Amino acid sequence: MAEHTRVYLRLAAASVRSTARRPAYLAARTVAAALIVAIEVAGVVLMLDRFGSIGGWRPPEVLLLFGLAFTAQGLALVFGDTLEADKMSELVRRGTFDQVLTRPASPLGWVVASYVDTRFLGRMLAGAATVVWAADRAGVAWTPGRAALAALAVACAAAIIFGVLLAAAGFTFVTVQGSEAVNVLIFGGQYLASYPMQIYGSPLRFMFVWVVPIGLAIYVPALGVLGRQGPPGLPGWLAWLAAPVAGAFVALGGLAWRAGIRHYVGTGS
Amino acid sequence: MTLIEVEGLRKRFRTRRGPVEAVAGIDFQVEAGEFVGYAGPNGAGKSTTVKMMSGILLPSGGRVEVCGMVPYRERKRLARRMGVVFGQRTQLWWDLPLEESFELVGHLYRIPAAERAARLRRLEEVLALGPLLAVPVRSLSLGQRMRAELAAAVLPSPEVLFLDEPTIGLDVEAKAAVRDFLRELNRDEGTTVILTTHDLDDITRLCSRLMIIDHGRLIYDGTVEALRSAYGTTRVLVVDLAEDEPVQLAGAVQARAEGRRRWLEFARDEVSAAELIARLLAGHEVADLTLEEPDIEDIVRRIYRGEAPP
Repeated sequence: MAEHTRVYLRLAAASVRSTARRPAYLAARTVAAALIVAIEVAGVVLMLDRFGSIGGWRPPEVLLLFGLAFTAQGLALVFGDTLEADKMSELVRRGTFDQVLTRPASPLGWVVASYVDTRFLGRMLAGAATVVWAADRAGVAWTPGRAALAALAVACAAAIIFGVLLAAAGFTFVTVQGSEAVNVLIFGGQYLASYPMQIYGSPLRFMFVWVVPIGLAIYVPALGVLGRQGPPGLPGWLAWLAAPVAGAFVALGGLAWRAGIRHYVGTGS
Repeated sequence: MTLIEVEGLRKRFRTRRGPVEAVAGIDFQVEAGEFVGYAGPNGAGKSTTVKMMSGILLPSGGRVEVCGMVPYRERKRLARRMGVVFGQRTQLWWDLPLEESFELVGHLYRIPAAERAARLRRLEEVLALGPLLAVPVRSLSLGQRMRAELAAAVLPSPEVLFLDEPTIGLDVEAKAAVRDFLRELNRDEGTTVILTTHDLDDITRLCSRLMIIDHGRLIYDGTVEALRSAYGTTRVLVVDLAEDEPVQLAGAVQARAEGRRRWLEFARDEVSAAELIARLLAGHEVADLTLEEPDIEDIVRRIYRGEAPP
């Protein structure tokens, strides 16, 4: 097991070194990704400024939610970015995936480790900075328990996003060689979307990448971090339920991925 | 020892125009140490067969076993014992210096460091890779890259090597380097090689055995020589006469005439070249003559067209 992990770490390191061969490019991508978070945060601040508060949440409290979500997305996409439908279908269409299957490694481990995208490290760090800043403005008194809750929220939301990406990637194996029309209908929007939209392109993605993970894994723990009472019927211990839910998402995503590979091996590209 | 066993192997694809039988039931066995050329026109089922042998594709019927393993079921275990080179794609790390690819392959295939270093030194020498080690793969020329691909593929000492068009797009010199290396690898290490190619020159120069597939069926399996004698029964005697005069010879047909040169076709099994030349010299003064054997390229083209052996 340890040896396996080391191989994937080496692959990930090679992937980062590949980008690092062009340091200016690497820096520009990372900074740009962080800047986009800053712009999005500024947008939220401006919007909240108009309304004062949303549903009784003050601006820094809402920002804390956003910050946790950004951090989680960044974390998930550092490893899961290649699992996005357009990138997976590219791997399949160019025959790269055939080669992955001839390697003595797990295809998922290979794909995830070989295409680490440091750009999302920028998103993650900017998200974490937002959390710290928003918590300070909201007057959060950090305790080990609250820090653990925040970390749990990020880890679980990231796991849920990763699980969804995994399932989508499994689905890509089926659609790639299916009718191209299906592909265009479901994923076509992405090709047209410019960068910021890439993060939440279609309503479907918005739903899965924002609403579901935040609702499940971020909102409830955030209540704990902020020391707020949730709506009735949402007890605080529910936060710890996020872990098994996230586990279930990853497990289901893994099943979909495996089914996708089985389909791929069965039909080819 | 039988290394590859294929029995009644089939692969059916569903397409928009209905099911297509890409591989329609083929049988063959490859012994350890063989160098097999696998040829066929585009879409004949070549790469589908290779994909089933390497575990990328699941057969729709029949049986395939490589190194005693069922490829799709023991994909990872088999991967350690086989090497794959696809001519038009890279197995190397594109943006990194070449030596890093070798290092990663070493770790991936769990080659002990000392063994890797020793083997790499030998490969570097044979394939003249020394000056390329520090160069990023993307900056290598096609010929350099193909040499590097081969080195990476054989670094783990695979028992079987699948090659798909390894000489495509290479110049004469690079082609020769690749062929020399493969010949030596097969001879010295006993590596079994399955070579898929359109380049029949690759096959005549390297392969002890040729398999031709068309429409998903194996239509030839034997040596290149046997193919030549089965199909290539027509030989041509090219004669430069001392004087421009008509030639009439029993057993030969004049196919072409140009100035004082004549092309005389004759059947191998009807008359020997020696006999024909004797008949020719008896009636004509000859300045020069050459004997042309049937071109393998020509023969294979005739097989693709479905012409049965005469």
